[in-house]
Amino acid sequence: MRESDVIVIGAGLAGLIAAAAAAKQGKKVLLLTKGAGTLTIGGGIIDVLGYLDDGKPVLNPVDGMACLTPDHPYGKIGIETVVDSINFLLKICENEGYPQIGSCRQMQWVPTAAGMLKPTCIVPKTMDVSGLKKTTNRVVVGFKYLKDFYPQLVAKNLATMPGFEGNYKVAMVSPPFECGRDIGTLDIARWLDTEEGLKECTRQLQQVVKAGSTLIIPPVLGTNPDYLALGWLEKNLECHLLETVTVPPSITGLRLRTMLLNYVKKQGVRIIEQAFVTESVIDKGRCAAVVTEAIDRQRFYYAKSFIVATGGIFGGGIIVEPDQVREPIFRLPVKAPLRREDWANQALLSNAKQPFAQIGITVDEKMQPLDVNGNVVLPNVYIAGRTLAGYDAFFEKSGNGVAVSSGYKAAMSV
Amino acid sequence: MEKATVVVIGGGATGVGILRDLCMRGIDAILIEQRDLANGTSSRYHGLLHSGGRYAVKDTEAAKECIEENIILRRIGKHCVEATEGFFVRTLQDDVDFEGKWVQSCQKVGIPVAGISLEEAMRLEPNLNSKIKAVYRIPDAAIDGFRLVWQNVASARKYGGRIKTYNEVIGIEHINGQVVGVRVRKVLTGEVENIECDCIVSAAGSWAGEIAALAGIEVHVQPDRGTLVAFNHRLSSRVINRLRPAGDGDIFVPHGSITILGTTSYQAKSPDDTIPATEEVIRLLTIGEALFDNLKSYRILRAFTGTRPLYSADPSVKGRSASRNFVILDHNNDGASGFFSIVGGKLTTYRLMAEKVTDAVCKYLNLNIECRTANEPLIEDPSPELITRARSCFPSYGTQLAASRLGAVGLERVVKRMQDHPETRQLLCECESVTMAEMVEASLDSTSYTLSDVRRKTRIGMGTCQGAFCTFRSVGAVDHFGLSWGKDPNELFKEFLQGRWNGMRPVLWGNVIREVELMRGIYEGSLNIMER
Repeated sequence: MRESDVIVIGAGLAGLIAAAAAAKQGKKVLLLTKGAGTLTIGGGIIDVLGYLDDGKPVLNPVDGMACLTPDHPYGKIGIETVVDSINFLLKICENEGYPQIGSCRQMQWVPTAAGMLKPTCIVPKTMDVSGLKKTTNRVVVGFKYLKDFYPQLVAKNLATMPGFEGNYKVAMVSPPFECGRDIGTLDIARWLDTEEGLKECTRQLQQVVKAGSTLIIPPVLGTNPDYLALGWLEKNLECHLLETVTVPPSITGLRLRTMLLNYVKKQGVRIIEQAFVTESVIDKGRCAAVVTEAIDRQRFYYAKSFIVATGGIFGGGIIVEPDQVREPIFRLPVKAPLRREDWANQALLSNAKQPFAQIGITVDEKMQPLDVNGNVVLPNVYIAGRTLAGYDAFFEKSGNGVAVSSGYKAAMSV
Repeated sequence: MEKATVVVIGGGATGVGILRDLCMRGIDAILIEQRDLANGTSSRYHGLLHSGGRYAVKDTEAAKECIEENIILRRIGKHCVEATEGFFVRTLQDDVDFEGKWVQSCQKVGIPVAGISLEEAMRLEPNLNSKIKAVYRIPDAAIDGFRLVWQNVASARKYGGRIKTYNEVIGIEHINGQVVGVRVRKVLTGEVENIECDCIVSAAGSWAGEIAALAGIEVHVQPDRGTLVAFNHRLSSRVINRLRPAGDGDIFVPHGSITILGTTSYQAKSPDDTIPATEEVIRLLTIGEALFDNLKSYRILRAFTGTRPLYSADPSVKGRSASRNFVILDHNNDGASGFFSIVGGKLTTYRLMAEKVTDAVCKYLNLNIECRTANEPLIEDPSPELITRARSCFPSYGTQLAASRLGAVGLERVVKRMQDHPETRQLLCECESVTMAEMVEASLDSTSYTLSDVRRKTRIGMGTCQGAFCTFRSVGAVDHFGLSWGKDPNELFKEFLQGRWNGMRPVLWGNVIREVELMRGIYEGSLNIMER
């Protein structure tokens, strides 16, 4: 029987950070993952805390965290650990050649593909907004046949945003694709992974933009966690480039995921993909193993400790049925509003958190799951990421921040 | 001042059917609708083209009308009808005596029914509950209420029909007991105007009582809530009816890749009382399990609610005990000559209702012109040459779909746009295969004021993702082509998403709640479209 020190279930941002931090502590780590996680859907920028419960924007996320209720994951993790965890991530990015901009103490407002601004903390250098403020030559660049980016919409809305007022021009690039299907940001990012792509894109843009401009573009500056495409285009166009946040698939999330996977592999983390963890083996009140189900057979994976980073309702870590809500692997108690009528607000987008979004597993300060009476359920199991109860990641803009800090905290508690 | 010989009030199937009939008889007519066309009960029902079987025992008149109209609509509206046929299925829990009575009644009315063996039934519909007791085949079919309305509109317009949507009738003008016009208020601007006319037909469905009241006339229409569930599966190839007296949860209708389960019956607070509730859905699923095992485990798309316009001269009759026959009320008897209300009825008989009331209008106007609506197809089929051109623009599987949605005239416009602007060939809505060109053409229609109006014409956002991806693209596209109806893009986002949310909110479990989280992740989490 091969036993790991730690098994991490789930390779989204929380799972990857947990694996990285546990490995860094010298633990033998096994990472079980059924798919790519939601990092490539939501995006690779780290929102720590953008809005408080009343919908007021936060100026400094560290101060904002102090205003949250103690039930919030940040209340359990502790502000100091949140800061440490973000620094841990920043250090990895630095060492891996994909340095990031920002800190937990300052908000950055970045443009989205709807031309809105969104509060976040840590962004790649492709999303550095500081350059935008230095120039009045602002051009929103679209790509012909890309149905997931509308430069005119970005230009129009952005011009009304505080701090971003001004004139925005629109320019179009026509990528020479003959793929016989609709194209997405990923196709363009792959094109810009190639030298021909960069040259052609530069050639087209040189005809329409002046040196010294800021170019606002969809997230297409290469699929790899490096700044090769950014560097090339900025040098040859003598312009500043700024990627926006847009709809899935998220290229910025893809880059961060690639970088973290490379990193954890180098740290000796063993990764098993396509591993559908279906249940756990509980022995004398502790988890002894988890079970994966493949086409041919079940497999048992043994470890001293387990970190559950299986995601929330969207990721599949929490299953909602007409008459119950459950956590499928360990059957952990899930906290949810009692009556279904109390689950959701009348408005989809409003000035209030959605109650159902706060469904999840309640934990203590070590990220250990608690029952309704506040007792630890399984002493060698730890929870990280969207599986946690008590926050609406989309309303308050805290998803990746909670993922990083809870993954880190779980690994430190093991 | 705008003038018309006849003003038709109500943009559901009946109203547009009347407009078409009037215009085909050469009578100048205008239709007034308070919101968008097909926004009321014509799209908020199960989409069954009745064979009449459901009414055979209790309501032979209605049953007879159904089977006759069923045959006509298959002919004139073939692009709206999916000729699925239907089963009537008696389950373990249903009264065996009713079965004999039902078969006899169907035969008496002239509805072809044929009993088949359980083995054959299970072979044809393997998802049926294995404990069923008896099965009959019957000529039910599925009919797309949105498309039916739009194709009637296309036909009416061809004959000069005019339509004003988002115009609310706020007054009936009359002189010496004779109607002379209607007073309307533009809902979006508040502007009020009069339309002069000789005759008024109210086809306002659940709102008919409110319209009649404007002339001081009492019409007892009791709106009755019916909630339905749309599954993201085709559970069966046929319409599946429960063989028992009409009740909740007794029908499943397949439409393309989805199935609609209906229906509940509660007295509605108002005609607008159309937000579905979780308990209604759970009730439907529980009852429906007699026909399909494990119904609660199937993926739901959304729930929706409509109000049946039940009419009874006797106001004490309620719910399913009210007749589903239609009645034409000549308000000459109430001191308003030239004012007619058509009440009751059901979608399957919309054409007949239109014919009968148009006959009454003709009589009032001293005209003697024959009705042709049963003979002429709603829309012209595209020519083989146009289909060939369309194939070079549409994704292969999308050509026929678009052709039957749009007809010859609409398809011609969409194909031209695609040829002139190749970027509009892209699919904005992958779930329902809607191209940017079709979306832009629908946005240009004079009855479009919001993205939801465009949705009802094109089906954008009505498939599996419920707008998670196509809302962004649709807002981007209407903005790009300068068609945003003077609205702020954020308003467009919120209006459309809220409409999708209303149907998802009552069914927050399984993949629906996951879809909602994806939607919130994109619009709230990533794009930061919020109420702040």
